[in-house]
Amino acid sequence: MMPLDMLPIGQSAEIAEVLGDQNDVKRLAEMGLSAGVVVQVVQQGSPCIVRVAGSTLCFRECDHLQIFVQPVASVA
Amino acid sequence: MSLEQQTQSIAVALIGNPNTGKSTLFNALSGVRQRTGNYPGVTVEKKHGTFRIGDKSIELIDLPGSYSLAPRSPDEMVAVDVLLGRLPAERKPQAVLVILDAGNLERNLYILSQVLELRLPTIVALNMIDVAQDKGVTVDAPLLAQRLGVPVLETRANHGAGVQQLREALAHIAAQSPPEYTSPFPPAFREEVAGLQGKMVASNVSAPRYLVERLLLDTSGYLEKELELGGDNFHQTIEEARARLKESGVPVPAVEAMSRYAWVRETLNGVVQRKPVAPPLSDRIDRVMTHPILGSFFFAILMLTVFTAVFSEYIAGVPMSGIEWLFETIGGLVGDSMAEGPFRSLLVDGVIAGVGGVLVFLPQICILFFFIAILEDCGYMARAAYLMDRLFSNVGLSGKSFIPLLSSFACAIPGVMATRVIENRRDRLTTMMIAPLMSCAARIPVYVVMIAAFVPYYSFAGGLLNSHALTFAGMYLVGIFAAVLVALVLKKTLLRGATPPFVMELPSYKWPSLTTVGLRVFEKGWSFIYRAGTLIFASSVLVWAAAYYPHNDAAVATWTPRLAEVETELAQATEPAQIEELEAEQGDLEHHIAGAYLRDSFLGRAGQWVEPVVRPLGWDWRIGCATIASFPAREVIIGTLGVIYDLGGEEDEASIPLREKLKSATWDGTDRPVYNLPVALSVMVFFALCAQCAATLAVIKRETNSWRWPIFTFVYMTLLAYCGAFIVYRIAAFFTTTPIVSV
Repeated sequence: MMPLDMLPIGQSAEIAEVLGDQNDVKRLAEMGLSAGVVVQVVQQGSPCIVRVAGSTLCFRECDHLQIFVQPVASVA
Repeated sequence: MSLEQQTQSIAVALIGNPNTGKSTLFNALSGVRQRTGNYPGVTVEKKHGTFRIGDKSIELIDLPGSYSLAPRSPDEMVAVDVLLGRLPAERKPQAVLVILDAGNLERNLYILSQVLELRLPTIVALNMIDVAQDKGVTVDAPLLAQRLGVPVLETRANHGAGVQQLREALAHIAAQSPPEYTSPFPPAFREEVAGLQGKMVASNVSAPRYLVERLLLDTSGYLEKELELGGDNFHQTIEEARARLKESGVPVPAVEAMSRYAWVRETLNGVVQRKPVAPPLSDRIDRVMTHPILGSFFFAILMLTVFTAVFSEYIAGVPMSGIEWLFETIGGLVGDSMAEGPFRSLLVDGVIAGVGGVLVFLPQICILFFFIAILEDCGYMARAAYLMDRLFSNVGLSGKSFIPLLSSFACAIPGVMATRVIENRRDRLTTMMIAPLMSCAARIPVYVVMIAAFVPYYSFAGGLLNSHALTFAGMYLVGIFAAVLVALVLKKTLLRGATPPFVMELPSYKWPSLTTVGLRVFEKGWSFIYRAGTLIFASSVLVWAAAYYPHNDAAVATWTPRLAEVETELAQATEPAQIEELEAEQGDLEHHIAGAYLRDSFLGRAGQWVEPVVRPLGWDWRIGCATIASFPAREVIIGTLGVIYDLGGEEDEASIPLREKLKSATWDGTDRPVYNLPVALSVMVFFALCAQCAATLAVIKRETNSWRWPIFTFVYMTLLAYCGAFIVYRIAAFFTTTPIVSV
């Protein structure tokens, strides 16, 4: 498991856990970032840009909201 | 029976995620028959559109784009209140139109699952199917319609495709029964909702089922306060219900995302097919646009281009000289065709000099908003916000503050309103406090007039750079620098808090729509003309009156007898040399008389009172008065200065540009010019930093729902402006020991 913003460009990963205040976690879920979702990195760093299903989101984590992911092999 | 009565009017609410083409669909459905306004007490725009289909009239209510119907703020509450018919100012919609992005149904169905709980007849518009296909996504619309139990219509709103079918479906919608829908929540949760609702009904608290459900889910406490349940009684009940749910393995609020996404997954099973495709063009563009170095470089070039266009002689300059010429001609014609007296003075010196001086800046405002509208509509603005996040997070803000601050370069009012995209309250307030420091279009007149008249022109770097453009840029930097300082101080003191997380959707790139861009430019341009025609017109007239009356002949008695003599002599004179001499004396006397009238006027008397305060800034009483008169709206200064120096000047000066009038202004009773470089810089810095805009303060009041923040903004900015102008004046006076007159 590693923080989302450490993934390299092009890497896909499954969100393992979203840690933080429950209202913030819920807001992320409403935008499509929740455990079990597969994301692909478009731009790495902080903030990073990821592709989630059909949309592109940018995300900068902070002390009280972090996304941990499990890298998966890229499909094609 | 009238035609009105035969027509059946159906109210339909339009809702969906941001970036789904909702506004485009709204425009396509309702055409030009739109009305906009604001819901009382919040900053949510109220947008209505109407269209006729057969014998029915459909009234569309456009609700703000949202990812979820889970209100956590008064702004988000509006959508829920409208849908439940809880707003007295709005009729309850008889049906809902939900717009979904076909390329991203996984997330878009989340809000649909909430809408379906409202038990209103519902229609789904499956939008952007063409974009979805490019992403390798195919959607089985008939299967989706069958699963949802509501009509699903494919649309491509940007091409107008499917819009007519949607209109026809909406005509029959009200007759339909609400879709069959089973709540995706686990039974234990539904029982708690029913139990809580029962208790509320028993204590005569009316609450629709959906709100009761939200009450249980909203752990932030916002909704409890909003619904005014009265006392701790219900709070206790709600807390107990949550504790019971937690024990039986139903965690609140996480259960909502879990249950709804489970429902989404089940509903979409077999409906959506994803083919792996090459990374979409949008992603490939983003590799460059959001690259830390390449992207920032492109961003810098883009900003430079925008500002160059706004201040270019060739682009903005041509229509501006046209407008200037028009007002000069009108002023000349009116001046020539009317008899001398208060009414001519009011028209020429008050209205034409005042309003005309401001309207000149219309082209620049239109050009700036043209670029902002294009950048927003094509999707670049979100990328700029992403790039800016690196900078903003150093000050304790996030990239979300970028768009409000950029809009503030045109006008702080839309800027302050745009802060509502920032969820974090402290960030939103900080952004709101610094937005008026961005040099808005209303400051352009002050900068342009002062620079053109008093900054010596040098060009260097082969003509690429010149002292005028650099001074101009410098004024923008003064504002930005002050904003950074204020933001840092605020985030460390009054609005202390950790840098918040930053999550934002980056919409796919698309070609900007001409209609959207055109409408936006028209809207901004019109509101500027409207302000010039009302507020600035009124203040020009007031300032004119204050500077004209009492028009006491006793004040000029020293010169009038001699002037009469000179005029008689002039009528009899024949020698050219004698005529010339007499005309010079006549001009001199008229100048003295005009000055004496002005000093004796109400404004002049007030000016003598204000002079000691503005002296340290290098200003004379006229600048002091003009500045005070421009506290309601800073662009008034140009009209006001025009009026003051017109009245104080000779009769035929109305057609001389303001900068010439300023150059020839002298301290009372001397030949010493009022304006020199240090004074001009002092005036510009004061205007760069001062909160001279009643409308902005009113918007901050409305936005924060308190007088505290607008008062704070006003006080801190005025102090900052006074200190800034004082320091700049002293420094500039030190370096330029002699007043510099421009070439």
